[in-house]
Amino acid sequence: MSSDLLFKPVRELAALVRARQLSPVALTELCLDRLERFGPKYNAVVTITRERALSQARRAEGEIAAGRYRGPLHGIPYGAKDLLATVGTPTTWGAAPHREQRFDFDATVILKLEEAGAVLCAKLAMIELAGGMGYRQPTASFTGPCINPWDTDAWTGGSSSGSGAAVAAGLVPFAIGSETWGSILSPAGYCGLAGLRPTYGRVSRRGAMALCWTLDKLGPLALTADDCGLVLEAIAGADPADPTASERPYRYEVADRRGFRFGVIPDVTDGCEEPVIASFRRSLDDLGKIGTVEEVLLPDLPYEQITRTILQVEAISAFEDLIESGRIAELTAPEDRFTPYAREAILAHDYLKAVRLRGVMAREIDRVISRFDALVAPGRINEAPRLGQEFRSAIRATAKDVMGAVGNGAGLPAVCVPNGVGARGLPTSLQFMGRAWEENRVLAAARAYQSLTDWHTRHPKVD
Amino acid sequence: MPETPNPEAVALFALVANRYGGRLTTEQLDEIKKMVEGQVEMARALRAVRLTNADEPFQPFAAYRSDTTPDRSALASPLENERLGSKGDPLP
Repeated sequence: MSSDLLFKPVRELAALVRARQLSPVALTELCLDRLERFGPKYNAVVTITRERALSQARRAEGEIAAGRYRGPLHGIPYGAKDLLATVGTPTTWGAAPHREQRFDFDATVILKLEEAGAVLCAKLAMIELAGGMGYRQPTASFTGPCINPWDTDAWTGGSSSGSGAAVAAGLVPFAIGSETWGSILSPAGYCGLAGLRPTYGRVSRRGAMALCWTLDKLGPLALTADDCGLVLEAIAGADPADPTASERPYRYEVADRRGFRFGVIPDVTDGCEEPVIASFRRSLDDLGKIGTVEEVLLPDLPYEQITRTILQVEAISAFEDLIESGRIAELTAPEDRFTPYAREAILAHDYLKAVRLRGVMAREIDRVISRFDALVAPGRINEAPRLGQEFRSAIRATAKDVMGAVGNGAGLPAVCVPNGVGARGLPTSLQFMGRAWEENRVLAAARAYQSLTDWHTRHPKVD
Repeated sequence: MPETPNPEAVALFALVANRYGGRLTTEQLDEIKKMVEGQVEMARALRAVRLTNADEPFQPFAAYRSDTTPDRSALASPLENERLGSKGDPLP
C-alpha cells in the first residue's frame, strides 16, 4: 500500500473506505508501520497503541462490510495528544514526573471518536504540561524536541507538537491537539497543516489534562480545513462530566459559499518576518476574490495582559502540587523548573481585574467581529524556529499576539491554514477567527481560500 | 546610571525569594526577579483600565445542590475527615 494515501484528506480516504476500496485494517497497519518507522525520527510519538488500533480497525472493517457505515471517520486512523486519558496506556502529559501516569477511563473526545468509528493509533508527543510552565525553547518534553518534517533542523511548534509532526509526515490522517494559547495554531502553522481551535465549551475537556480551566480547548489538526470540520462534528457536544461543554448542537455544514466579509486589524503584521507579511498580503488578494476585506480597529484594551494574567495564575494553581512539592525540578526544560515561582507574586486583585476585564473584552470583540465572517491575520509571526533557538512568545511577552490573546481570552474559534513559504522554505500560515460558536463560518472561509490555493497539497519528503 | 528598582517589584520578589529561595539558585532567582518586574508592568496595564461596579468577573458560578438526597448517617467527605482529623474535633 502506498504511503501517498496518507497525504490524502480524510474526506477522500473516507470515500475509499465506504466504497470498500480501502481496508481500514490495511490503512491502520500502514499508519502503525509509519509511526514505528518515522515517529522516533521526529520525536513525535509517546506510545503506539497497536493492539487497540488493530482491534478498532477490524471492528470498523466488519461493520462496513455488514453495511453499518457510521460516517466519514469510520475506519480512519488518528493520533491523540498525550494529555488525553486512555485506558491501557500511560498518559504522560509530556512531563517526566508523569511518565508512568495511567487513567482507568477514556477521555470524552477519545470515546466520541470511537463512537464515530475512528481508530486510535498513537498517543502523540507534546510540550511538558502543555507549555504552561513558561518554556522558551523546543527541548521541553521528556520525549525530546519535536522535529518538523519539513526541515529536521526546525521545530514543529507546540504544545501539540507530535500532533503537528505526525499529520505533516503522513503518519496519521488527523490528530487531536489542545490549545490554551497557541498550542493548535502554532504546530498547524509551522507544519503546513489546517488546525482548528473550537469555541471554548464546544468540545468536552473531560479526561484532558487541565492547564487553565477557562482557556483550554481541544481540536483537530489535519491536512485541510474541511477535514477539521469532519472531526469537529464527531467530537463536539455536551458532556455531563464537563459542565463547560455546551448544549449547543454542532453540525458541520459543507455548502460552498462566496461573498465573505473579512476584517483585518491594521497593525496585525507588526513583528512578523518579511516573508510572512508577503504571504499575508498575497492571501488578502486571494480573499478579495471571495469577499471583501476591510480594516477594523479594536477598542483599546490590554488584551495580551488580560489573557496572560489569567493563564499564568490558572496554570500555577492547576499544578500547585507539582510546584509546591518542588517536583517541577524534574521537568525537562531548565526554565520550566523555576518560572512558575515568579507567578506566585501575581496579586489576587490583579487576577480578578483581568477576569473582570475579560468580560469587557468578550463583549467588545463580539460587537466588532459580528460585522464580519472572520478576522484574518498571519497564523504565526514567523516560520518554524530552529531546534536550538529560543523562540518569541506572547505568553512570555516577548512577541505580540493580539489575535491569540483575544481569541483565547474570549474563547473564539479560529482555523489556521498554510498560505506560503518563508525564507527557509518552511510553511507560513493564515488564520481566520470568528464569533463564538461560528466554526462553520470560519471553516467555510478557510475552505474557500483553500479552493483558490494549493499550499495544502504540498507535503514534506519523508524517508 | 542604573534604573531605580520598582518598589512593588522588589517587595513581590522578596515574597517569592522568602518562600522558595531555599530551592532556587542565584541565577534562577535573578531570572525570577526580571519576571516579577514584567508581571508588575502587566498588572499596571490592567490597573490602568477603569471598570464600573457592574463589571463582574466573567466566569460562571452557580450555587450547588446535589441532585441526590444526602445520607445524613454517611461519613464526612475525605476532605472533611482530614480537616477534622487534624483538629481532633468530633463530628457534629
